[in-house]
Amino acid sequence: MEKGKISSLQMAIMMYPGIVATAILSVPSITAKYAKTDFWLSPILASLIGYMTVYIAYKLHKLYPKQTVIQFSEQIIGRFAGKIIGFLFLVFYIQITGNMLRQYAEFVVDSFLVNTPISLIIALMALLCSFIVRGGLEALGRAAQLFFPIFTLPLLFLIILVFPDFEFKNIFPILGEGMMPPIKGAIVPGGWFTEFFLITFFLPFLTDQKKGMKYGMMTVFVVMMTLVVVNLIVLFILGLATSFKVYPLMSVGRYISLGGFFEHLESAVMAIWVVGAFIKISVFYYGIALGTAQWLNLSDYRPIVWSLGILLVIFSFWSLPSTVELHKYSVGTFPLLGLLIQMIIPLFLLGIAVMRKRKRQGSE
Amino acid sequence: MKNILHILCIFGLILLLSGCWDRVEVNDLAIVTAAAIDIKDDNQIELSLQVFIPKALSTGGGQGGSGQGGGGAATLVRSQRGSNISDALSKLQSKIPRKVFWGQCKVFIFGEKLAKQGIQEHMDFLLRHPQPRERAYLYVSKGNPKDALEVLPPLERYSGEVLRELSDLHIGMQVTMQDVQEGLVGVAQAGAFPFIKILPPGKGEEKLQGIPYIVGTAVFKKDKMVGTMSEKATRGILWLRNEMEAYTVILKPEGVKGEVSLNPVSARIKLIPQIRNDKWKMLVNVDTEGAVVQNGTNLALTSPKSIQTVEKAYQEDIKDRIELAIQQAQHKMKADIIKFSKEFYRKYPKEWKKVENRWDEVFPKVEVEVNVEAHIRRQGYINKPGGLPEKEVKKQ
Repeated sequence: MEKGKISSLQMAIMMYPGIVATAILSVPSITAKYAKTDFWLSPILASLIGYMTVYIAYKLHKLYPKQTVIQFSEQIIGRFAGKIIGFLFLVFYIQITGNMLRQYAEFVVDSFLVNTPISLIIALMALLCSFIVRGGLEALGRAAQLFFPIFTLPLLFLIILVFPDFEFKNIFPILGEGMMPPIKGAIVPGGWFTEFFLITFFLPFLTDQKKGMKYGMMTVFVVMMTLVVVNLIVLFILGLATSFKVYPLMSVGRYISLGGFFEHLESAVMAIWVVGAFIKISVFYYGIALGTAQWLNLSDYRPIVWSLGILLVIFSFWSLPSTVELHKYSVGTFPLLGLLIQMIIPLFLLGIAVMRKRKRQGSE
Repeated sequence: MKNILHILCIFGLILLLSGCWDRVEVNDLAIVTAAAIDIKDDNQIELSLQVFIPKALSTGGGQGGSGQGGGGAATLVRSQRGSNISDALSKLQSKIPRKVFWGQCKVFIFGEKLAKQGIQEHMDFLLRHPQPRERAYLYVSKGNPKDALEVLPPLERYSGEVLRELSDLHIGMQVTMQDVQEGLVGVAQAGAFPFIKILPPGKGEEKLQGIPYIVGTAVFKKDKMVGTMSEKATRGILWLRNEMEAYTVILKPEGVKGEVSLNPVSARIKLIPQIRNDKWKMLVNVDTEGAVVQNGTNLALTSPKSIQTVEKAYQEDIKDRIELAIQQAQHKMKADIIKFSKEFYRKYPKEWKKVENRWDEVFPKVEVEVNVEAHIRRQGYINKPGGLPEKEVKKQ
């Protein structure tokens, strides 16, 4: 079905904005609510979930090297049950991608395009992403590579530019109330780390399959480091006021003032956000398109890309009436749902697959 | 044929690049340079905006600076009452033909009366609205804050600029919106704002040519103003908050007539919290350096002994200033504007938790010990008192 091949480095570059893009914007505020001044520790704890997810995805890939989760779930637990699991995955991914579209558009409308109808912003992004998904995996990989510097460099600049305003003492007290607050704070970013299961859609198409695991783990580490650094920047600038901001990194971007003339750099944050959201949505969109085609036993996924795009736009409205609900969903529902679908179900599949393999080997 | 269609599509997309619905032209904007908020007798808010006039800039300064720059003001001031800021703003919009734009507004002034009734509701608007900046400076003015906007300063283009420049010089406290938010929601729950007054115009200047200037500090407990501090005490607070810059210290050394002035002065302050046997204590360690800028005594500052005399006076002076400031904050205002709470919270989070709710009572009881280490490093271009005959110089 997918004839393109990507390298494992390309996969890493696709997954990195795929996780970080939305996680750096609103998650620091949510984490800070629970972990107070220790919220920079939470991504480290949350990344454990990421390592486990990558491990599970890779082990499953090892057992069924040419297949994605939609296909091998049928082989592991039978055709009917497998289809149900596959359907669950697809609905989950369509729903969270709709969510990302909404989150992206809410941010754009909230801070810049106040009068523009949100449906237009969502529809344009969906349209753009469908182009790249139709272009295939190779096009997606190349695009991610191309945009990677645009995504990471502004982040580096941001660190340098706000450096003079850092109040390093904000980091104290470290673990003032024990380990519990950072653990509580880790639950929400943990949900983001489960999204690493998406590599199951890319692993079969790697040119260097053996490196898949290594690069997957590396991506988790780099994502963790990025989140820790972003959380520290936010902490050093905003301190205890972090949890009051909806978009803390944006507030930090606005705070820049270097030499009295280098100011108003929120557009740098915006650039990170738009490029990141574009890659993120495309990566998930691709997974959905490929998965749906496999689920329906189609010979190609390209014809259904447009219709799936419409579905994504609809889901971005249906699932959330307001930013309040969006926030509630990110805090309450998403981490648990993500953990269930992207870690516990795959773990369960892996358990059965390994047992079956042993049984088969035993009988031979 | 297909290629032409593609090209047409691409050209069609150009139409979307203008930013659609949110296209804003600069000449449709009323750029606010400063805003003042006060409360009136009928409990209504009065919002005054100082709006920049682009026309005045091009005609006034362009023609080789003809005296008073054409005499026209670069800004206009409009005000309007309403039940809160957003209400007043929407009414005010009908008096201004362009759309009000907050993005460049770096000065917000609260009236004293409003500050005493609480600013939380108004801060909410400023923090929630996407346009006002986290780095905008906040002030409290004596009397009607609108007056501060209406004056036409001779040196700067408009009065908002005057206040901003003064704040950048660290003359008084430099307080941004971010600081206020952190102060109000953070552990201290107290804040300090620069307190401004109008400096009357000098002789020969026109009636409105006064400027607003910073005379001290308005002290806030939670979101309500509880009092003001004099300029002298403000200096002490600045020392404690490590915001000291551009400042002259005047000393009276013991045993000689006259004064010695030091400038520039640099200082490093360390606040070290201690809790021993349930007794809260704050060690304030000051390490300061200065250079002599004026010597009105007959001491030759070349000998170590005379330097020592001056350094001792220096040390005493700084100690007095800081103690005065602490005394005022702790006992007169009972508001923690020197951020002791933050230091305690950072070092003793567990003990802090216990007093968190009654910090108001604990704060005045915190024992303070001030240790000053003062040095004079340089003495300028002459090494003896200037203009004094050699034989009158006191040698030690």
